[in-house]
Amino acid sequence: MRTLATYALALLLATSALAGTFRAGSPSTTNNDDSCDIAVQPAATLLLPYFDVDFSSPQTKARTTLFTVQNVSALPQIAEVTLWTDYGYPALQFPIFLTGYDVQSINLYDVFARASIAPGPTPGGGTSVNTTVPVNPTPGTQPAPTNPNFLSDVGKVCTNLPGVFPTTLLRDLQQMFTVGVPADNQLGCPPPSSTIPPTSSTPVGGTHANAIGYITIDVVATCFPVKPMSKDYFANNLLYDNVLTGDYQIVNTGDKKYAQGGPMVHIRAVPEGGPAGASTLTNLPYTFYDRYTTAFFFNRAVDRRQPLPSTFAPRFIQGGPGGFNTSLRIWREGVLSGDATCSDYPKNSNMPVTEIVRFDEHENATVSSGCPTATCAPPLGTQTTLTIDTSSFLFPPLATSGDLAGWIFMNLSNGGSDAYSVGVVTGLARDFRTNTSTRTGLRQSQNWVITSMFADPTFATEATALALGNGCSTSPVRGAQIAPAANPTP
Amino acid sequence: MRWSVIVFLVAAAASGATSRTSPSTTNNDDSCDIAVQPAATLLLPYFEVDFLSPPSSARTTLFTVQNVSPYPQIANVTLWTDYGYPAFSFPIFLTGYDVQGINLYDIFTRGMIAPGFPPTSGGTSFTTPVPLNPTPGSQPFGNAANPNFLADVPTACALLAGVIPPALLQDLQLLFVIGKGTGQSIPCTAAVGGTHVLAIGYATIDVVATCSAKNPSSSDYFAGTALFDNVLVGDYQEIVPRGDKSYAQGGPMVHIRAVPEGGAAGAVADSSLPYTFYDRYTAALPQRTADRRQPLPSVFAARYIAGGTGALNTSFKIWREGVATGICSSSVTNPNAPSRNSYMPIADAVRFDEHENATLYPLPIAISAALPTPGTNAAFSAPAISGFFPAISTSGDVGGWLYLNLNNGGSTAYSVGLTSGIARDFRTNTSTYIGVRQSQNWVIASMFAEPTYATEATVPALGNGCSPSPRAGAQVAPAANPTP
Repeated sequence: MRTLATYALALLLATSALAGTFRAGSPSTTNNDDSCDIAVQPAATLLLPYFDVDFSSPQTKARTTLFTVQNVSALPQIAEVTLWTDYGYPALQFPIFLTGYDVQSINLYDVFARASIAPGPTPGGGTSVNTTVPVNPTPGTQPAPTNPNFLSDVGKVCTNLPGVFPTTLLRDLQQMFTVGVPADNQLGCPPPSSTIPPTSSTPVGGTHANAIGYITIDVVATCFPVKPMSKDYFANNLLYDNVLTGDYQIVNTGDKKYAQGGPMVHIRAVPEGGPAGASTLTNLPYTFYDRYTTAFFFNRAVDRRQPLPSTFAPRFIQGGPGGFNTSLRIWREGVLSGDATCSDYPKNSNMPVTEIVRFDEHENATVSSGCPTATCAPPLGTQTTLTIDTSSFLFPPLATSGDLAGWIFMNLSNGGSDAYSVGVVTGLARDFRTNTSTRTGLRQSQNWVITSMFADPTFATEATALALGNGCSTSPVRGAQIAPAANPTP
Repeated sequence: MRWSVIVFLVAAAASGATSRTSPSTTNNDDSCDIAVQPAATLLLPYFEVDFLSPPSSARTTLFTVQNVSPYPQIANVTLWTDYGYPAFSFPIFLTGYDVQGINLYDIFTRGMIAPGFPPTSGGTSFTTPVPLNPTPGSQPFGNAANPNFLADVPTACALLAGVIPPALLQDLQLLFVIGKGTGQSIPCTAAVGGTHVLAIGYATIDVVATCSAKNPSSSDYFAGTALFDNVLVGDYQEIVPRGDKSYAQGGPMVHIRAVPEGGAAGAVADSSLPYTFYDRYTAALPQRTADRRQPLPSVFAARYIAGGTGALNTSFKIWREGVATGICSSSVTNPNAPSRNSYMPIADAVRFDEHENATLYPLPIAISAALPTPGTNAAFSAPAISGFFPAISTSGDVGGWLYLNLNNGGSTAYSVGLTSGIARDFRTNTSTYIGVRQSQNWVIASMFAEPTYATEATVPALGNGCSPSPRAGAQVAPAANPTP
């Protein structure tokens, strides 16, 4: 890269000598898989920021979420799927074995209503290392039989992965994702006591009629189960190959039949490659799984996953003759580390938001609670994943102009956490990009926003909301001039 | 995941040592990756408008442009035919933090751009009042505050026309449905677009320094009009009104950033981009990357489902870089005639079903052969089971994915490999097997099931525009990362 950059610089300087040259700084990377930008390209982790499943209704009436994972490499891969509650508790984890070029869809209605993962033509379903690999017509389309990064136990532990799980676990799962506490004790956190009257447990998820949460899908080296996000997971299981792609659909099969969907969030490993546990440095200032790497004191970026941004600019339209409305699906990084106890999880239920400003179509701005200055109290807090109407109390009110549309500036940084790698020790606060002292002491938090628009009878779209920078861009302080993130170099 | 990398890392892990690879960029606006972040150019890869039907039943495409900076900006919209002819351009003046929706039905049926109140007027203007907002951080700057604006902005951008004259509207309708206008208003009577019932094409939206009728094919567009500020964001919706079976699809536009960003119109800046989005329009400039816009990828992995109990089907909306610049010419011998953009070959396509069985085109793929694969336009929509793509396998699977290497084989209009004998790899400047650089493309997957289930998603690219495109028949895989 340095050679190319040097050459390009010399060439362009020579060329530009003919005209007035605007000197604009250091070269960009031109490599694939080599930046903080979140692009729709093969990744090592996929994030489904929000799911919503009505498992109580018959399938013909039930709202559900589907997602599909593709392995776009010739090598077989294992995708570890983790279902998290809306307080960020990793409740269920299961592997999917993907042969080279495989594609696997999961309907979460199957999981939450039928206790079934990837049902197939045979009872039980599931995926398996024993899946037959076809003989394809050209070498370039031929799936490979093995992956050199697989652990030696794959042949045994990835055989006939269960497609059906016990009904007792299903009941726990349903409870965990609708009231935040399990019925039994199979998902790691205790149920209410059996005493009379029962002592309620601290919830690890919110209360709602539908199962609500988010999902991560990691490329891993084995199907052997380890505690989600544990030291073992990062030291022995997680891989770094950018080979997975995926998309999702939220399907409403009720009276108004419509669907919304888009690509999942493709989070790449930078740099990619190597076996599980490889200790490779990255220039990423922090990583997507940062708060789970506290056991790796000398390499907090052990997962190498790109960080997500903090600042967004989603558009909205609400009201008018078309009956338009807009909802935002929001994922927010929690404040807890991997060693949090069950009673800690409510801390992820009310994380503050740094700043929200609404602009109408005439650029009139409104701020929360009519707050006129940057010193006012910030907006209300939220849990780690939610869908919220843009007319809700979280957002500033509409301006008095009469405009029904515009856009919302959202700085979703949650104010930091001691679980984060930067600023974890008093006195060691530092800017997350340059390792110098900083005004905030803690790094910004990671977030993602999806804009869902709907109008009667069944006009429905969904789009990734615009981020005003990437996860390596410094998040602005509250009250700063609203603008795209600066590029520090030019 | 090259073997050398794996061996190296295995060795490092075995010794307990920590390996170090080359640095990634951690800068905002500083890579070849196409992210949904503020950009200097927005691409709407495909639009279609039924301008003959009443609004209650007319399919249309809307797009919205946001200026997320406090500075005023000018967004220059160009509507291109499906053969890549720049038929119509108009500027939109955006005050700081402005947002402007455009319904293409308004343009193609009503001859209106951004209709206002009353709807017989419309347009945007430099004279739009700037509000006084409650916090300094949310305050737009004045409409003359953009230091990169040219001096004529106050007059050139005052009361931009919102109404399209009838003669121009007629030409516009003709160019986008039969590919030929009357020449009365748009001075071109050559065949510059395909024939279809709906108006079909694509749109680009550039941040520029003044309001004019210029477009990227104008000789001085990149020397004195285009700007380099990554400040625009946008999305689109395709609306299909069918009474109680109405539906919509949409997503973000393609956000193409200037790398590096900033500077005045015509400023020459270093860019390590190997070539740029507007590459074929910069031949007359001393610096072929004068537009500094990120290039788009060539290889995609598009999931499909076609059939089954839900009667699901998938279409792909595809944008492809033309081989010709799209001047007004019907001559088959003119290398820049738009018609040359109507049958561009596809380098390679493979269909994988859900059991990974692969099917290929019936003919051997060779980029040098004459039309070895179905040729396509610069902007089109095609069902996943159409003849543009390999046939479905005999397994019975109704789903899977398509590997699409949409490289068109190159063009003498491109900056790399322009002259015989100096063909070179576009990233390393060494000789290369194909002689010219890959072409740029974009793919969107539209899924639909009756009665009203419809979604749309950007299709994953298997690399970025700086990743070398694989040759036909190469191992299907994500693009290599050359550095680690």
